[in-house]
Amino acid sequence: MQKILEVKNVFKNFGFKKVHNGVSFDLNLGETIGLLGPSGTGKSVLLRSIIGLEEIDDGEILYHHQRIDNLTEVELYKIRTRISYSFQNGALFDSDSVFENVAYPLFEHTKLNELEIEQKVMNVLRIINLEGAKDLMPSDLSGGMQKRVGLARAMILNPEILLYDEPTAGLDPSNVELVIDVMKKFKEQGISGILVTHDIPTALRICDRILILKDGVINFNGTTEEFENSNDSFVKTFLKYE
Amino acid sequence: MIKNKLKQDMRVIGDVTLFTKDTFYCMLSRPFYLGRFLEQIIHLGIESLSITIVIGIVTGLVMTLQFGYGLEKFGGTLYVPAIVSLSLMRELAPIFTSLLIAGRIGSGISAEIGAMKVSQQIDAIRALGTNPMRVLVVPRVLASILSLPLLATLSAFMGILGGLTIANIEFNMTPGFYVNKVLSTIKLSDVFGSMAKCAFFGLVISILACFRGFETKDGTKGVGSSAKWVVVRTSIIILISDFFLSKILILIFD
Repeated sequence: MQKILEVKNVFKNFGFKKVHNGVSFDLNLGETIGLLGPSGTGKSVLLRSIIGLEEIDDGEILYHHQRIDNLTEVELYKIRTRISYSFQNGALFDSDSVFENVAYPLFEHTKLNELEIEQKVMNVLRIINLEGAKDLMPSDLSGGMQKRVGLARAMILNPEILLYDEPTAGLDPSNVELVIDVMKKFKEQGISGILVTHDIPTALRICDRILILKDGVINFNGTTEEFENSNDSFVKTFLKYE
Repeated sequence: MIKNKLKQDMRVIGDVTLFTKDTFYCMLSRPFYLGRFLEQIIHLGIESLSITIVIGIVTGLVMTLQFGYGLEKFGGTLYVPAIVSLSLMRELAPIFTSLLIAGRIGSGISAEIGAMKVSQQIDAIRALGTNPMRVLVVPRVLASILSLPLLATLSAFMGILGGLTIANIEFNMTPGFYVNKVLSTIKLSDVFGSMAKCAFFGLVISILACFRGFETKDGTKGVGSSAKWVVVRTSIIILISDFFLSKILILIFD
């Protein structure tokens, strides 16, 4: 298996609060891993650290065996076209339409003409079942639609890795199904992913491997079968309550 | 407590200086967002036209009325066009327009960027491989530097026009005499000096507004307090720096 992302012994503190205390794991090509754990354990912070939105205090993050945690903001711009981040709340630009939001990375990073951009955006909107919403503003969309548009914007440049930050949180079952379908389609296209979620059924349906972050370290790292059949007391409790 | 406040203020000054340096670096290098710049010109400049015109005309009317009746007692009505036009061009139009823009635009910029900050839109700009300084700050700062001098000059011109109207109606001054007096009083250096001052005020307003927007925390409450912070700070800086800039301009041109 080809490792495309390696997180090695990462430490992160916010003031006196220790968030990560030596987090280590790998992501293989084409694989989707689920990052679970109690609230406030730094799962989202870990995703933000991978993409460089948060600086880590110690440790290494490698993308294709090259360190990316020590890159400057300008050097990171290129990496961020290959590793995309889908925000928990969508983080759509509220003054731009759905089309403009999804097209933004194409205008910024490609030399495609307007017609090509429109075709590409419409293709992606078709994947997320929102082709009729291209002229709507984010305020006109439901929470689930906003998350799907956020996912579309994150994948429009065909990234190698997509970081999903709680994509199904707060959604009704039908919207959860739609988001899961979208993530499955991305996976079929060969996009690797890290899924931060509290939604264990979703993680089990999408992910190849489950990681549990607890007390600043990876407490469990195994396949979905190993996760479901684990005898570890914390995993059992976690499965029971989540 | 005073020591801590002083330390905090010094840190803000340092942060604003670094922010200004980054802004100028982004301003002088590519890519440049022309579309976003033109959008801001419309928003900051063109949408402020009506209020600028009203302020200019009203100031000209009131100034002419007050100076006219005041100087009439000493037989000095003839000096009204010179006094009104010079004070409008050098001081009143730049200050009034800048304070207006600080309130209208400064608070708007900081609230807009602040709301983007708390809703993670600025993080999204970064996560999509682009620089928020280039996307958000540079277009606003450039539009502000360019719009404010033009708005202030327009305001002064409208004030002079208002003065002309009231001088004609109240003091029987002919338009020809009024215009002749204005043209012989106002020099090009007054116009350029006023524009230079306004460009500086435009820089101060937009930089502080963007800076504070980026520093916004604590949700919607933070957005509101950022807008207030910008209006208070920029107004004070405009009023104080106006004295020193006026002194410098007098030393250079007079």
